[in-house]
Amino acid sequence: MEAAQAGDAQAYRLVLGEAQAWLRRFFLKRLPPSMVDDAVQDTLMAVHEKRHTFDPSQKFGPWIAAIARYKWIDRLRAARRTQTTLLDETVAVGDHEEQVTTAHALEKLLAQLKPGPAEAIRLVKLQGLSIEEAARRTGQSATLVKVNIHRGLNRMSTLVMGGNDGE
Amino acid sequence: MVNDPLIERFVTDLRPVRRRSLWRDALTLTVLAGVEIGAVLGFGLMRPDMPHAMHMMSFWWKAIGLLLIVGLGGASALVSLDPTRSPRQGLRRLGVTAVVLFALGWLVDALQAGPEALWLRLDPAHGMVCAREIVELALPAVLALGVIVRRGAPVDVRGTAWVTGIAGAAFGALVFALACPFDDPLYLVVWYSLACALVACGTRLVLPWLIRW
Repeated sequence: MEAAQAGDAQAYRLVLGEAQAWLRRFFLKRLPPSMVDDAVQDTLMAVHEKRHTFDPSQKFGPWIAAIARYKWIDRLRAARRTQTTLLDETVAVGDHEEQVTTAHALEKLLAQLKPGPAEAIRLVKLQGLSIEEAARRTGQSATLVKVNIHRGLNRMSTLVMGGNDGE
Repeated sequence: MVNDPLIERFVTDLRPVRRRSLWRDALTLTVLAGVEIGAVLGFGLMRPDMPHAMHMMSFWWKAIGLLLIVGLGGASALVSLDPTRSPRQGLRRLGVTAVVLFALGWLVDALQAGPEALWLRLDPAHGMVCAREIVELALPAVLALGVIVRRGAPVDVRGTAWVTGIAGAAFGALVFALACPFDDPLYLVVWYSLACALVACGTRLVLPWLIRW
């Protein structure tokens, strides 16, 4: 990083590549998979913008870990602002039911979701599995399955409201 | 790799940077502080009875106390611009310093002769003017610190905002102390604290929006 601060592009590419791999592991342990890429990208941008604050007499690990932790807390705060409660497994899409009645339309909607939420909705809402069964089947935690269902249904609602339901 | 194009963009964008130095930031602030104090003295705003005031215990209590808070607050703010450092320890030290200063104030108060009516001693008409002027004098310090804070990488933005506000406010009060003819510790504790609290709270509310990164 010290070389990168002096303008060494090769060293910078190397340090960012290693940082990216480390950050991916860091965020995978702490965030839903759908949020990991954004968090890694956001943190790398912060590292780039604040690289002048790194003190070469200190270790690089704690420095980037502190930035990653800051970005992680930022993500959690943002998620808390946008998502107040998790819906339980009996939740329905409510007013939009009529618009998603056919299996064809539903599949088109699911195809527009990220893989995690789409799979969670298919297993729990369409195939009738419990949250725990879906969690075992997908390798996700039960909480993450609930979060994915909630997000997926929200996204589907938005798509239907916006008339972008593939019809 | 999802972020590879991003890394390439950063590498292409790479320019040598001047490393942040705590000492350079501290020196910049000290110079700016000197300019503000020089301006106040240069405009002839120093209290006319300064030679007399310098023999009073309460003047030194006021000046040294504020200088301590400026130093502790400023140092905590600058240290917290390193993402691996927190301003919380500095905030705790500031809290202890303020309590000790208040206690010393009462001691100084008890040693000074002449019990007067509380209202007369508080002198709200002048007190409000003092508080307003302290707020005005603190603004350049808070702005200068704010600019430096924006360049840093504070991870506890609220804590950094608090110490920045406290340091700026205490500096405003310190500059004002050179012009203020009031030395009654009760008056100082009430009006100076009010002004400092206003600046610190204002900074705490505004600065986090400007330094989030």
